[in-house]
Amino acid sequence: MIDVHDLAKQYHIGDHVVHALRGVTMSVAAAEFLTIVGPSGSGKSTFMHILGCLDRPTTGRYVLNGRDVSTLPGDELARVRNETIGFVFQGFNLLARTSALENVELPLLYTRHGVVRAAERRDRALAALDAVGLTDRAEHHPSQLSGGQQQRVAIARALVTQPSLLLADEPTGNLDTSTSHEVMEIFARLRNDRGITIVVITHERDIAAYGTRTVDFRDGLIVSDVPNPFDSRLPRNARESLAQGKSA
Amino acid sequence: MRALLRHPVVNTAIKALGRNRLQTGLTMLGITVGVATVLAMMAVGAGAQRSIEQQVRAAGLNQITIRAGNWRPKVDESEAAVAHQGDARDSLRHPLERLRGDVLPIAFHPEDDPMEKHDHPTARQRLGDLEAGLGSAATMTFDDAEALRKLPGVQYVAGGIHENVRVYLDKKRWFTRMHGTDVMMPSIKRAWTFTAGRFFTEREQDRSSQVIVLGQVVADRLFGVGANPAGEEVTLWNQPFEVVGVITSATWVVQPAPGDDQFDAVYMPYTTTQRLLNLSKLNDITVTAESSGDVSRLSREITKLLRVRHGIGDNEADDFTLITQATKALTTGGLPPSVARAVASNVAELEKVTLEQLALTMERASRTMTWLLAAVAAVSLLVGGIGIMNITLLSVTERTREIGLRMAVGARRRDVMRQFLVEAVVISAAGGLAGIIVGVIASVGIARTLQWATVVSPLSMLLAFGVAAAVGVFFGWYPARRASQLDPIVALRRE
Ligand SMILES: Nc1ncnc2c1ncn2[C@@H]1O[C@H](COP(=O)(O)OP(=O)(O)O)[C@@H](O)[C@H]1O
Ligand SMILES: [Mg+2]
Repeated sequence: MIDVHDLAKQYHIGDHVVHALRGVTMSVAAAEFLTIVGPSGSGKSTFMHILGCLDRPTTGRYVLNGRDVSTLPGDELARVRNETIGFVFQGFNLLARTSALENVELPLLYTRHGVVRAAERRDRALAALDAVGLTDRAEHHPSQLSGGQQQRVAIARALVTQPSLLLADEPTGNLDTSTSHEVMEIFARLRNDRGITIVVITHERDIAAYGTRTVDFRDGLIVSDVPNPFDSRLPRNARESLAQGKSA
Repeated sequence: MRALLRHPVVNTAIKALGRNRLQTGLTMLGITVGVATVLAMMAVGAGAQRSIEQQVRAAGLNQITIRAGNWRPKVDESEAAVAHQGDARDSLRHPLERLRGDVLPIAFHPEDDPMEKHDHPTARQRLGDLEAGLGSAATMTFDDAEALRKLPGVQYVAGGIHENVRVYLDKKRWFTRMHGTDVMMPSIKRAWTFTAGRFFTEREQDRSSQVIVLGQVVADRLFGVGANPAGEEVTLWNQPFEVVGVITSATWVVQPAPGDDQFDAVYMPYTTTQRLLNLSKLNDITVTAESSGDVSRLSREITKLLRVRHGIGDNEADDFTLITQATKALTTGGLPPSVARAVASNVAELEKVTLEQLALTMERASRTMTWLLAAVAAVSLLVGGIGIMNITLLSVTERTREIGLRMAVGARRRDVMRQFLVEAVVISAAGGLAGIIVGVIASVGIARTLQWATVVSPLSMLLAFGVAAAVGVFFGWYPARRASQLDPIVALRRE
């Protein structure tokens, strides 16, 4: 699914050079659930932006689904973001004064076939909202939703184009503990049910434990990369839901 | 339209504009003023063309008068005699020319010895009852008028009887011209407007009612300036008449003056005149041509028709006289009448010459007006455009995160660009629509206050709207481009 080789990213601030990434090499297989941890400023977000085709590496190669995307032109990257990748942000980034349904429809305005027609947009957005259990909130505006619900709308938006890769940068950073776990369970279920590859950045160890594998960033480099024994560190309810997902 | 408004891009733009309603409104205002001015400008330009035609009609260039009898005024070849020949020639004279010594007696209009100064032939003279007919019978009838009405190319027909009368209001009196005429007259006299009341009606004409319309001069003299005489009663020939309206000039070219034939005059149904004076014939019939370029042809047709109707043999002279404004214009042009007559009969399309002269004058005036409006339009469109740029920049700044998000979910740079261009165009288009409405109203206003015909064509509306949209695209370009050049990551981080 993902192959990165010697990925480096430098930022120039005046004559000062910041090395955000200093040569990252790794791969993520399809249907893996990768969690990324590491101290602030260690390059996690930079790495994810490159994975999400929002940014290009200074040097190194990024192969996504067998295609080298590190040098694609802007419009091609936009198409990859639209079709292959779903984003979830810490701050939700929902459009205010716009219904949950319309928020979820947003990526369908930018498909390779242009704007998807209204009826189909609605159907697909409702299906995505159903996947996060929010069908009954479709007409609500973000201000009428709790933080957890807003993040679920954001996940539905990321899902609506049926991407194979879901990227989330600290998706639980603005949520309390119990809603954080609800959100992580949704990710786990999406991976189990649909085989979506998931990459989540987090600060918290118990959130990272949802991954099948955790990498640790330090100063622009991966310092540890370990598979998670998926059972022991999971909270009980999460374990149950995962078990249900697997048997279904 | 509805589908367009619901299109996500347009819908988003409208929603975004709703956030800064006041700024959007003010920005729109600039475009509205600009487009309204553009429209008014085109309306004035196009109207100038029609104005020529209208002024021409007001001047009566499409008018043909057929007088009963082959009556010729006792013309000496002197200019003074020409001036006294008849009301029609006088009314066409240039106002300054009228002030010249030879015509002053008429302008002063003294009542003491009116018949001598008002040198009009009386109805009886012109009907041929006395010496006037030069051997021909009194011939012009209502049936002739009806027959002329059926000629192709004829617009209006009005029969007329004319007299000098004293109009009394209690002890006040005024010596003036009386026109027994047809209800059609206001349509023929396009340069008329009513300061009070109305013209008499068809019903009143059919019943030969004793109703009367006063010219402004008569109304002012009898009732005082600014009075409303409608509904009052005046006396003519010892008969009571109800005043139903007052007419005055609708153009600044002609002002009512004592002694003129139109506004120092009173009008009543010709049927009433016929009844009270026991007349069965008409003095004249006035015909207007649908097109002023058609007057010569129509004149020939009328002559032919009337000759047949009156049973005039090939070698006999007409028993009527045909007068067009073109021939009149020539006779007032300083030419001796004999020469004028000779020229008029040889220049068939004479009216076109006169048209061209009028067109030139109008064109000059319209050019000045057009430049003025163009300047206003340019300034307001520029101000409006800068407003659009400003509000679109504001929108881009406010919605930077949204732009980043849209890019993250797949929007290409051109999608973002399109979004903000549409936003700019929505403002300018809405301003443009409002501008079209205001422009149409302004054009009507110009037409009313300046007596300047304005023509708002669908094409000019489309053009004005196009200008508005173009302003939106032009001034929306820079902000839209700026939005599209944003780095998605930077945009997403922006608070
Ligand atoms: N746009 C940028 N310009 C300059 N420096 C940047 C930029 N983005 C990130 N950095 C720097 O790169 C380093 C890594 O940042 P980031 O990837 O956001 O870390 P993390 O997400 O792990 O906290 C930091 O030192 C940060 O200051
Ligand atoms: Mg970060």
